[in-house]
Amino acid sequence: MLVVLATQCGAASEPTAPAQPAIDFARDLRPILESHCFECHGPAKQKADLRLDRRSAALRGGDGGPAIVPGRSGDSLLLHRITATSPDEVMPPKGDRLSEREVGVLRAWIDQGAVWPEDRPGAEAEEAHWAFQPLRETKIPAAGTGEDSRSAAPAQPIDAFIQEHLRKAGLTLSPEAPRQVLIRRLYLVLLGVHPTFEEVRAFEADPRSDAFERLVDQVLNDPRYGERWARHWLDVIRFAESNGFETNRERPTAWKFRDYIIAAFNEDLPYDRFIREQIAGDALGAPIATGFLVGGPVDIVGSPDPVLTAQQRADELDDMVNTTGTAFLGLTLGCARCHSHKFDPIEQREYYSLAAVFSGVRHGETPLPIPPEQADAKARADARVADLERRLARFIAPTAATTNAVPVSQQRPPVNARLNTEAFAPIEARRVRFSILASTGGEPCLDELEVYDGERNVALHTAGTRATASGTLPGYEIHKLEHLNDGKVGNSRSWISNTPGKGWVQLEFPGLTRIDRVVWSRDREGSFADRLPTDYRIEVATGEEQWTLVASSADRLPVAAQPGAKTTPAIVYRFDGLPVEEAELGRQWQAELERTRKELATLAKPPTTYAGQFREPGSTHRLHRGDPMQKREAVAPGTLALFRPLTMAADEPEQKRRLQLADWIASPENPLTARVLVNRVWQHHFGVGLVDTPNDFGRNGARPTHPELLDWLASDFMQHGWSIKGLQRRIVLSRAWRQSHAPRAEALAVDAADRLLWRFPPRRLEAEAIRDCVLEASGALVRTGGGPSFHLHEVDRENVYHYHPKERFGPDEFRRMIYAYKVRMEHDGIFGSFDCPDGSLVAPKRSISTTPLQALNLFNSTFVLDQAERLAARVSQEAGSDLPAQVQRAWELAFQRGPAADESKEAVLLAQSHGLPALARALLNANEFLFIP
Amino acid sequence: MTPPTPGSVPQPHPLLNRRRFLSDAGFGLGAIALTHLLGTEGLLAASVSGKQPLRPAIDPSHPFAPRAPHHLPKAHKVLVIFCSGACSHLDTFDYKPELIRRHGQPMPGQDKLITFQGEQGALTRSPWEFRPRGQCGKMVSDLLPRLGDCVDDLCFIHSMQGKTNTHGPGENFMSTGYTLDGFPSMGSWVTYALGTGNQTLPSYVAIPDPRGKPQNSVNNWGSGFLPAAFQGTAFNAASPIRNLARPDRIQPGSDQATRDFLTRLNERHLERFPGDTELAARIASYELAARMQLSVPEVADLGSEPDHILRLYGAHETGSKVKDIRAAYARNCILARRLLEKGVRFVQLFNGAYQTGGEGVSNWDGHKDLLNQYSVHGPVLDQPTAGLLLDLKQRGLLQDTLVVWCTEFGRMPTFQKGAQGRDHNPRGFTCWLAGAGVKAPFSYGATDEFGYQAADKITTVYDLHATVLHLLGLDHERLTFYHNGLERRLTDVHGHVVSDILA
Repeated sequence: MLVVLATQCGAASEPTAPAQPAIDFARDLRPILESHCFECHGPAKQKADLRLDRRSAALRGGDGGPAIVPGRSGDSLLLHRITATSPDEVMPPKGDRLSEREVGVLRAWIDQGAVWPEDRPGAEAEEAHWAFQPLRETKIPAAGTGEDSRSAAPAQPIDAFIQEHLRKAGLTLSPEAPRQVLIRRLYLVLLGVHPTFEEVRAFEADPRSDAFERLVDQVLNDPRYGERWARHWLDVIRFAESNGFETNRERPTAWKFRDYIIAAFNEDLPYDRFIREQIAGDALGAPIATGFLVGGPVDIVGSPDPVLTAQQRADELDDMVNTTGTAFLGLTLGCARCHSHKFDPIEQREYYSLAAVFSGVRHGETPLPIPPEQADAKARADARVADLERRLARFIAPTAATTNAVPVSQQRPPVNARLNTEAFAPIEARRVRFSILASTGGEPCLDELEVYDGERNVALHTAGTRATASGTLPGYEIHKLEHLNDGKVGNSRSWISNTPGKGWVQLEFPGLTRIDRVVWSRDREGSFADRLPTDYRIEVATGEEQWTLVASSADRLPVAAQPGAKTTPAIVYRFDGLPVEEAELGRQWQAELERTRKELATLAKPPTTYAGQFREPGSTHRLHRGDPMQKREAVAPGTLALFRPLTMAADEPEQKRRLQLADWIASPENPLTARVLVNRVWQHHFGVGLVDTPNDFGRNGARPTHPELLDWLASDFMQHGWSIKGLQRRIVLSRAWRQSHAPRAEALAVDAADRLLWRFPPRRLEAEAIRDCVLEASGALVRTGGGPSFHLHEVDRENVYHYHPKERFGPDEFRRMIYAYKVRMEHDGIFGSFDCPDGSLVAPKRSISTTPLQALNLFNSTFVLDQAERLAARVSQEAGSDLPAQVQRAWELAFQRGPAADESKEAVLLAQSHGLPALARALLNANEFLFIP
Repeated sequence: MTPPTPGSVPQPHPLLNRRRFLSDAGFGLGAIALTHLLGTEGLLAASVSGKQPLRPAIDPSHPFAPRAPHHLPKAHKVLVIFCSGACSHLDTFDYKPELIRRHGQPMPGQDKLITFQGEQGALTRSPWEFRPRGQCGKMVSDLLPRLGDCVDDLCFIHSMQGKTNTHGPGENFMSTGYTLDGFPSMGSWVTYALGTGNQTLPSYVAIPDPRGKPQNSVNNWGSGFLPAAFQGTAFNAASPIRNLARPDRIQPGSDQATRDFLTRLNERHLERFPGDTELAARIASYELAARMQLSVPEVADLGSEPDHILRLYGAHETGSKVKDIRAAYARNCILARRLLEKGVRFVQLFNGAYQTGGEGVSNWDGHKDLLNQYSVHGPVLDQPTAGLLLDLKQRGLLQDTLVVWCTEFGRMPTFQKGAQGRDHNPRGFTCWLAGAGVKAPFSYGATDEFGYQAADKITTVYDLHATVLHLLGLDHERLTFYHNGLERRLTDVHGHVVSDILA
């Protein structure tokens, strides 16, 4: 305190000499900034988006523009604010002002060129953070000696790294686990189900020296492998098959993405390719993979409130940015939505650069290419419909619409609610009028009226075209005249006339315009087919009066009767008054026509999947404090500045934005990508990653327990073609992974959490694996892979969807749980309590908690009791009626071993008094059944 | 590889005394494994606030053991009463003479306002008269006369502000502090921090409305990224906890014998893994489950409640639509009291459901026909909730129980154009508190003259959460859980304790 006072006294008497000695930033200026500025403009807060503890941020400035102009203290906002006299302006606003000496130091530092060395201690730490450095060349340590060589398994490079750390702690690896344990571990970790007892026996009896290697290869090629490992990835990328939020509607085609992930693992798709496909698969022949982009929750509650709409969109983009950042880079980018990241070198601007990459991506059911078989079938149906219509033409009853001169065979298809095109010879027009003379039920509706000159829609109000109408149905925000030519389609952006069955709309172009067709629709989204104009005229005019008819309903076939549709049947075939045979033939044709049309309607639809939909986006802006109502400067798409920053043109084509980002992430030089992935894979083998914070490799995350090993694995992984299976093969063949899980007192005392891996760390199975194992043991498991999901819930499909856990299950629900409909917010009634994430947030690591509800569900649920009875029946069938033999078989099915003598004795007693199902119920609840040994 | 013995079994050691092991585990290995369980090892400990996190020390074999708060608490238990669908402050507790005076006029300066469902009509007074109530004379509408009689025990916050005008995100925000799905609910945070006083009942109970679940369903009581142990257990007076009861097909003797056999099986397995707390925790969880099978039906059985109590809550009377729903909700209110009496840490009682009809039909979402919709919801809420407050008070439970009445947001002072109801309004609404640690009678903050926007002492949902935690002895800036790169808090990076309302 005294020292401070002395300094300040000294400062007061010091002249503010213009000729300051050379200022050293670290020695002279930084302490000043630290004591006066960092509280509001430092790591914790960046008021006005100004940060003064980092060189790059400080030189860039904040909301008020650059704070420092090197060489010109007079023009530097920082100095201006510090020396201001007005209480509204002066900085700092509270607390002590800077002394004259301190102001002098600052002024001199700016005038001397504001030299801010890169290598100040803070920056050094910032730049040198391990995970942002390129992968280090690591030498494999000398192989372990002494006790560690107890293992019969050949030492792997992994073991050298593990043993080096163990040796430093005075520890050793444990001996190799017995084969019965090893094969159960291998199956549970790689396949998520127990091996059969017979498989255990065969492995135990395999005399070949490479028996385990052979087993590993066989297991990695088992299709159940993809079903197991897809689950881990789907957790990381918050995949689910419902929208979340209050409506929580289903995404009935999202399973195709799940199947894509399963196949990617089974085929060992190189990870760099896997990244590219998920971000930009539409450009790489894998459109389903872009389900990644839109796999997250989305709030579909529509509202005319622009604030809400903007917020919802910002949340969608945030979900994409965040998930991309955490899944591939292990970085939490979400913080930078509101302010520059406090711990990692990520500026707010960079966040919005990434948002700009995704700004053309939208959620939705996305059409996929029509498969050839379907296209062929459609062509056949098309031809048949045309043929039948020709044959039936002579039976058409005369109606108002068909009394005109156009012969039926030359008539155009009937109008439909989704899209109608009226082409005509190019003509100059100032105005276009669409007059409706009749419509199906109610006041007619148009969701969009487009007028084209070649490829250009000249009707848009943004092109200066003005719409007028005979009248508009009052009181509906969603039905307004301005929606007619706003470029937005669907019932909620439509115009409705105020007169039943009648009305007109007129478009006036800013000047004479050449036009060649009109395109119109009732509801292009296909939800509504009522209020459809059926009798209409389209006329154009160059001046005030002279109207020329360019198209009308006169040459269209009348709207056909469609079962269930709210349209008026217009074509009527009449068979009365005809010879019996002829009438009968006509009726048969008509029946076939209706049938074929129905088939055609299905065949005409391309298959869809829930994946990204892509449009060229507008500009992206930085949002002050993340508030979508506070737009700041425009931001071009780009990547993070962490390594080889990539900035794109502001108007970069949408797809190229994503492709470039994907390339940047999947680059072998990206310091994070491979490290993050090998750590995830490691985690699911040992329960904990080398980095215990799998989604945070930033400065706030955990440091790796074995940094050299992590880098070696990452390099090796890339050298071997980013092969995940190759990486896993290395891991499971290591002594570290093959060692016993038995605890050792002396090692527990040193490293109870087993982070150094002196034993294999056992752990409880996840929810899905428990359910799969129960079904496998009972023999009920249905092995069919892929395809639409089965439901664990009964679903009430109101406006808002409600999900009620099922009580009874049958074979449809006896497939593996990866194939269960993944519903956000609602958990499975039994296994949901086993820390099963619901896909609302990314879940890189599941917590493992133990609760009485889990015990109740597993001990009392109808599902488990049913399976216990099945298991009991299976045991009787396979072991005959001898009770000890039944007990033996029950142990084999549940634990893949025989019972010890006292176990057998007690089990026989239980089964004698209470039946085999009681024994089966206990075994399915046992720790040995639920733990990876 | 050592030559294997087919079917070999590790030799069992003499049986350990498991109870002794479990208690040892609590002091030794348990605590070490705990950090492992919570994934908190080796992290930089600074949270965003710059304060050091104070994470609860959880023994995985006793996840619900009572734990010490950060500072001396005023409240030990919490009852949240959540009116789902957005209950209008303007027809209940926020009296606005200017709204009555300007009835039928456009809202000044807001004639172009577009809210959730669209354009706004004129300012519209409540169809219910407001009158002075209690000793303090607080104005409450005729919609809730019995709650009106309770005002001397209530602490109103009239200046609440949310940040979304959509139900799902709104309910998330009130229940979890985030508008997005998937974050832990307030009850999860509280039981994560404090455990519970009664080891034979769930620490956190959510009581859904008799008509069904609220708009955002189980997300209101989910545990998000906190361990599943801390999620709310949902049941009400009509539907019990799933899988709690012994299944019908299992005889009692068989059930017990199977349980005993399982215990021996697991104990023998544990001998091979001394020191493994997860294995021990699973054994303990079956014991706790067995105790819950006895204690939960007992607490949920309202058969012992005397007639005058049933009458106090309005549980005695059925026979019309309103009376039937009221009686069912009243039984939930009695259940809430019984749970709090038995020491359950956090009870979340819902009034209103989305499940049985759309907006306004079975919840407070009165867009179209406020008068008729609220004529059902008011009487359903009023007597049972007032009865619950009186009963808690007469049993002395308000001394250590904090009651929070809330809803996801408020409603507009105008009627919607072309409709007879009010649109969503997160800019201003009312919540109230009662019981341990809060001033009463007291009114804090205010909306503007029409009740449109919070104007005086604006109180965010973060502030409300910070205050609830504070009353429980918890510093909202230090109660954290590491998830996905961040020390997460209930209050994110926001929130101030509303110290003016503390007693």
